[in-house]
Amino acid sequence: MKVKDTIIGIAAALLLIAVMAAIVGGGTAYTPSTEIRRLAEFYLKHCINVYNTTWWTSSPATVTSMVWDYRGIDTYYETSVFFLAVIGSTALFRIAEVKLRAEGEEKRELGLSTIVKTSTRIVFPLISIVSASVVLHGHLNPGGGFQAGSILVVGPLLLMASFSRRYLEDRLRLSRARCIALFTTGLISIILVVALSFAIGGALMQNQPKPWSPKSPWGLLTKIGPLEISGTLFFFDLAEFLVVSFGFTLLFLLLSIPEREFRRLLGL
Amino acid sequence: MLAISMMAFAFTLAAIFTHLAIKNRDLVKATIFSAGQSTAFALIFFLLMAPDIVLAYVAVAVGIYTVLLLYVISKTERYEEGE
Repeated sequence: MKVKDTIIGIAAALLLIAVMAAIVGGGTAYTPSTEIRRLAEFYLKHCINVYNTTWWTSSPATVTSMVWDYRGIDTYYETSVFFLAVIGSTALFRIAEVKLRAEGEEKRELGLSTIVKTSTRIVFPLISIVSASVVLHGHLNPGGGFQAGSILVVGPLLLMASFSRRYLEDRLRLSRARCIALFTTGLISIILVVALSFAIGGALMQNQPKPWSPKSPWGLLTKIGPLEISGTLFFFDLAEFLVVSFGFTLLFLLLSIPEREFRRLLGL
Repeated sequence: MLAISMMAFAFTLAAIFTHLAIKNRDLVKATIFSAGQSTAFALIFFLLMAPDIVLAYVAVAVGIYTVLLLYVISKTERYEEGE
């Protein structure tokens, strides 16, 4: 059985290498072209073109400007789908906010060993700093709201695993209600920024003035003092960050309720 | 050429991890092998010059997805039976 498995593994690896070599050598009929397509060329030419600002987004990060400017409504729907998914999962846990306390919990030490706790104490601030830098530079560098949000969630997850769920609730004061509040604030601020861009430019989700919009010369500020904020992109990134990070944290707070406690609370 | 050979290496690694994840009877180990496969894929995304995807993919596939599976396993049995 072992030998057979090994042979299958090696054969699969060899097949993979052979297929890759064939693709690299042009053995298949179609290989993706290395030339840039016309649509991509349009985006690359216009997203930070300061000499011709007719179609620009005032942001050097092409992906972010595509996600939140050229195809902004698409991303808005994506965010609302995520929002509804999390709200739907929360509706399954229809129990009151309770402090979970097992018997004799005050006496015994919660969580994993000292080594794990100390390394978590070192890693948690680093994770937070990386996610902050990804979200605050999302409109200048690769990155953005979703990426930063999903990086930040790893922090509370580590704390929950190595300390306990109650550490998050008691020390960081990150209860379920607070998570829902912050998470909803994110979606509301996306809608507010959309409304602001409508009020200023006359078109929904419009970052910088476009030729067809009613109030054409008006766009959002591209910089405040020395800070580049790229119009709406910075605020959209921040709002998406709130939605994603606290949405996932909320889900994991609910999932980490022990099965026995959950059954007791539901009266099963 | 270096990028392509690194990609071939990462793909091979991913194939091995996938095989191990499917074959393993211990579901916790299988989950960790699947995280290893995701790490190999993250390297491939980086080599294909998609840094935006790498940032989201590493956090989701290695962090969130793995922990979600571990929670699910904690609510059921750790060892797969049968055959």
